[in-house]
Amino acid sequence: MSSRLILGAEGAATLRPPGLEPPAAGVGERARRASRALLSDRRIAVPLGVLVALVLFAIFAPIFWKYGPNTQDLINSLKSPSTNHPMGTDQLGRDVFARFAQGARISLIVATLVTVAGAIVGGLIGLLAGTIGGFSDGVAMRAMDAILAFPPLILAMAVTVGLGIGLNTAAIGVALVSVPWYARLLRSEALRIRSLPFIEASYAIGMTRARVISRHVIPHMMPVLFIQMAAAFGYAVLGLASLSFVGLGAQVPTAEWGAMITEGLSYSLTGQWWISIFPGLGLLVTVTAASMLSDRLRDLLDPRGEYARL
Amino acid sequence: MGAVVAKRVLGSIGAIFGATVLAFIIMRALPGNPARLIVGPLATPHAVASVSHEIGLDKPVLTQYWLYISHFFQGDWGYSYADGKSVKALIGERLPATIELAIFSFALTMICAVVAALLVTYRQRPVADRILRGVAYVGFGTPPFFVALLLLIVFFRSFHVLPGPEGRLGLQAAPPPTVTHMYTLDALIAGQFSTFWSSFVHLLLPAIALGLSSFSFIVRLLRANLLEVSREPFLTVARGKGLRRWTAFRRHALPNAFLPTLTAGGLVLGEFLAGSVLIERVFNWPGIGSLVFDAIVKQDYAIVQTFILLSAVIFVLVNLVVDLLYAVIDPRVRIPSVATA
Repeated sequence: MSSRLILGAEGAATLRPPGLEPPAAGVGERARRASRALLSDRRIAVPLGVLVALVLFAIFAPIFWKYGPNTQDLINSLKSPSTNHPMGTDQLGRDVFARFAQGARISLIVATLVTVAGAIVGGLIGLLAGTIGGFSDGVAMRAMDAILAFPPLILAMAVTVGLGIGLNTAAIGVALVSVPWYARLLRSEALRIRSLPFIEASYAIGMTRARVISRHVIPHMMPVLFIQMAAAFGYAVLGLASLSFVGLGAQVPTAEWGAMITEGLSYSLTGQWWISIFPGLGLLVTVTAASMLSDRLRDLLDPRGEYARL
Repeated sequence: MGAVVAKRVLGSIGAIFGATVLAFIIMRALPGNPARLIVGPLATPHAVASVSHEIGLDKPVLTQYWLYISHFFQGDWGYSYADGKSVKALIGERLPATIELAIFSFALTMICAVVAALLVTYRQRPVADRILRGVAYVGFGTPPFFVALLLLIVFFRSFHVLPGPEGRLGLQAAPPPTVTHMYTLDALIAGQFSTFWSSFVHLLLPAIALGLSSFSFIVRLLRANLLEVSREPFLTVARGKGLRRWTAFRRHALPNAFLPTLTAGGLVLGEFLAGSVLIERVFNWPGIGSLVFDAIVKQDYAIVQTFILLSAVIFVLVNLVVDLLYAVIDPRVRIPSVATA
């Protein structure tokens, strides 16, 4: 007797080999499946856990830590790490741990804003270019090519110099550099989705273009958008720190990781390594976690990838 | 072939045009007085007015754009506010140091990437593979200036095996007689082996710091391509007709896997241009990067502006050369019908 008869209809569904689930019914069901795939994945837990820990650290550490990021204590300057100052003190006697925590806050907040701004602007350009097409598509994509003609960090420098030095203009520069990547990616996604049979079917049952876009095209773009945002977040952290390092981003005395490394540079070679090393490690951990997250998301969610489980 | 080349050249001209327009908009059309940017914050209103006139801020926008790009392409890049020298002379002075570092770093990056990728794919070392993937992840996510600092702390400060941030040569050494402006080559030509050795060890740490993120990128690409190509049926055929494993690998797998890496050349150059600004200062390397870094600190923007536009033009041109090279090597690009057949 076949197992199908014993188990009944419900059991038969569980006998399907993994990865061959029936097609998802709607957007809600697809989103539920995506989140289930993500939450049950062990390899995504590491980068996700690191990033969540960093966010919690950035929120709570500056509140509860006994020193402020800019409180000077010249008598206790350049002290090596101890129980009182776990990351030591810098040349002005400021507590490096307090500055590190403040730097985490600044990096995470500004990089998040940069990522969201880039995703909205670039995403809209890509969506419009991919769905409207024609002349506006050509103009938009040539504009994106102009941005891509610059090495990324150098265009961000140009924007910062042109608009005036500071963390805000550095953020605008880094966001601008990320726009064409979103625009190109989402344009090609829009073109891919537009050619799928169910879009034709939607038009056939009388849906308007605006409704097809909002109901079908945009939701189907989301996985690719999230993958790109995770990668862009890492680049944003790195780009902001680099601009601050050369003096175009956060200004003295702001406790920003890149700026802290510049400040500690000359002390690193005379033995006071802790001023620059801790912010550098902060950058390394944040950016590596973001790129691991992006890679794993791509494995799990990318509709064009071989591992796609949706 | 001709059509492919023409299309790419036209595309590159378009990209350079777009880049100049974008740079012009950022530097001129946005709020903030560009003349003030050029002469610096301490200059008198008179100096601001005279520079405004000189760069044509009182003329219509299109004329301004024309002046902007014609000055740029004629090599008329203005004067440094900080020391009065022409920007062209300053950049010319600093160029050889940056080029020597870039070439050395590029060679080091490529050799290490190919060797590492071969080790984990051809020799199939799973432990090395895991380590390499870890290094590639961390290397890609680490800012180059932090890598530079770590290298200095480890190799100079702790173990005293490599020289510290003292530029291209030791303090006592005199530069070799100038032939190519590359200290390593010049020293070899003059037969000064101690100078050669000194300039070589001075190059090592900056080259690693500059190349690490490109290495991470290329090694991942190469590893993935090698694994993909080694599953292709044509490799089974090559082995089946009696080629030895290494011969089949070298003749058939490597060239095919290497092609996509070529395209990464453009990306590497972008990394190097920005990277020079980020790491040369750390090593006191007397190249363009530290010139630009100092110019930013002194708000000496004539230098920064020139560097930015120059980077874009070089970036586009190198990408063009890479694409054309690709077309020469890869028959699928050279002869469109092959790809579809």
